[in-house]
Amino acid sequence: MPCGEYFTDYESRMGLVRWRTQKIALALGLPIPFIAPFLLGGGTVTLLTQAYIFAIAVLGLNVILGYAGEIVLAQGAFMAIGAYSTSRLLAVGAGLFPALAVGGLISALVAVGFGLPSFRVKGFYIAISTLALQFIAEEWFFVNPQLAFIHGGTTQSVPSNVGLVGPVGALGTTIDKYLLALVLLLVFALLSLNLSRTGIGKTFRAIHENDLSASVLGVNVFKNKLLAFAIGGFMIGVAGGLFGFQIGFINAEYFTLGLTLEHYVMLLFGGLGRVWGALLGVGVVTLVQDYLNDGLNYLADLTGTNATALLPVFFGSIIIVVLAVEPKGVLAGLGKIKEYLRTWPFAY
Amino acid sequence: MVDWVTFIDISLSGLGLGALYALVAMGFSLIYKVTGVLNFAQGQIAMIGAYGVVVFGTATVLPAAIPAWAAVLVTVLLGLVLGLALERVVFRQFIGEPVLSVIIVTLALGSILEGVVFFLYGQNAQAYPSALTFGGQLSLPLGTSIQAAYAIAVAIALVVVAVLMLFFRETVTGSILRASASDEQAAMVLGVSIERTIALAWTLSIAITAIGGILLATSSGGAAVSIENTGIIIFAAVVLGGLDSIPGAFIGSIVVGVLQELGSYYLVGGTAVYVPFTDVQANFGAGFGEILPLILLLVVILVKPYGLFGTERIERL
Repeated sequence: MPCGEYFTDYESRMGLVRWRTQKIALALGLPIPFIAPFLLGGGTVTLLTQAYIFAIAVLGLNVILGYAGEIVLAQGAFMAIGAYSTSRLLAVGAGLFPALAVGGLISALVAVGFGLPSFRVKGFYIAISTLALQFIAEEWFFVNPQLAFIHGGTTQSVPSNVGLVGPVGALGTTIDKYLLALVLLLVFALLSLNLSRTGIGKTFRAIHENDLSASVLGVNVFKNKLLAFAIGGFMIGVAGGLFGFQIGFINAEYFTLGLTLEHYVMLLFGGLGRVWGALLGVGVVTLVQDYLNDGLNYLADLTGTNATALLPVFFGSIIIVVLAVEPKGVLAGLGKIKEYLRTWPFAY
Repeated sequence: MVDWVTFIDISLSGLGLGALYALVAMGFSLIYKVTGVLNFAQGQIAMIGAYGVVVFGTATVLPAAIPAWAAVLVTVLLGLVLGLALERVVFRQFIGEPVLSVIIVTLALGSILEGVVFFLYGQNAQAYPSALTFGGQLSLPLGTSIQAAYAIAVAIALVVVAVLMLFFRETVTGSILRASASDEQAAMVLGVSIERTIALAWTLSIAITAIGGILLATSSGGAAVSIENTGIIIFAAVVLGGLDSIPGAFIGSIVVGVLQELGSYYLVGGTAVYVPFTDVQANFGAGFGEILPLILLLVVILVKPYGLFGTERIERL
């Protein structure tokens, strides 16, 4: 990348692919994830699929938390809503895309519902009300057998051989699921990138920085907050549906506050409000978690203690250290290094 | 037909539960008032308190047990030290950081503490040393009765609350805490060391919360993972009472305790009441008692977000 500022107009400045290096990187890099599943082992492909799915959920969280700045602690609940709705629709043979879309919409609806208090209050009240939602979903709603007529049973297996729309375009193999998750991730990543470049994204950021100033400048704060909840909730719901479909089995125990925290680690590690940060965070954290899980399992067998319970300790420590050292995430840290190298040996 | 003796019984144990919650809730309010930190890890700190007695008082982790009273004392001291350490090591880094960072730090802290407890004991309940378990029933007038363990825990909780109230009202240190909570800069001008006050607030808050955890465990005969849920339920209490009001936290806790006990009895299982004019039982399924305070919380946030005694925040550009 050359030294100095080279852009002469707004459009080229805001372009997604701005430099020749980026064009080459795109042309060489994009095919890799599409070829990868044919070269890698089944276990790695499943792990990557899960990483892609979590990446969609984290991008959804990024829209609400990173762009609009609302603290949502109901990630697990939104994913559960998406997963159970998708599972029920797949069972009646709706096909994957309609099921995911409806699951996402229901999730978005609930997210908007719990965003309603933002009409009067802000910040931590939303955190508290969504935490209440998470608790209600996790401890009562999804584990209550009396409500099976709504959610269809606390544990249920998700139909595996389904079509994309109705019975058309059947998919079921691991590689099919991998490619599906990859394509959806690319779609949602592009959506997020474009969202942050357009007026809506800028409005969200204005609200994030100072909602009172934004409303003085004529931004409808309440409407835009709800819009962020809807967009983010939809993405998280779709991710939940995909998650259930990929595993083939859903259990209320998957969608706990622990999952919410895991996604926070991913987002904060990579960098809040940055699509690439979210993707980087998901990738790094998923890989580290996988190795650490193996290690802790080994340790648990070796010592006879339940060492696997220490995983949250590790994640909690990462969050605190990242927030203390570089609150904007690893990507911002890398950006600083790049800026330094770009102008080296001069300071400016 | 409503059975009044049962109703009074349930309400009494609700009041008691509220008094136990009050300690955890007051720990929360104290920190919020003085430092502005919303501590989402209160439940886990209470759980650490509850399991602390198990660690020291029984020979499950340590090679030998120490007497029960000493175990309680050591746990409370541990709470004091933990409070001081958290303030020094963690929360001092985040003074002046956005609310979001602080909330997430407390959540992370909660997951660390939870992980430690799960590592030591898994998700199983642990019985308390026999000196701290009390059997039997205590008879009260009007034919009602209450479990002895419960009554003792509640009595101690009320004593602690009373001592705290007196501490805030009568001692110099208490008024320093109140002064820095109401206006930090004015307190600084008058020569109060904010640094020391914040450390004191953390120490006190964590110790109270740990005592709350110990008493919650005593009232049910042993430490259980469900004590963690207190952290979420007390939000209903503190939001209802107003986030920055310590008496509000107490009153809110009482309301939430009564609501939870009544909900658990009258809206769950075979004892559920019948929907008026039908023969359908209003049975909402297991665990609804704990959900009821959260529904109240959502209603309060929508209708009166600053609670009964909270101060309304006015923002200026």
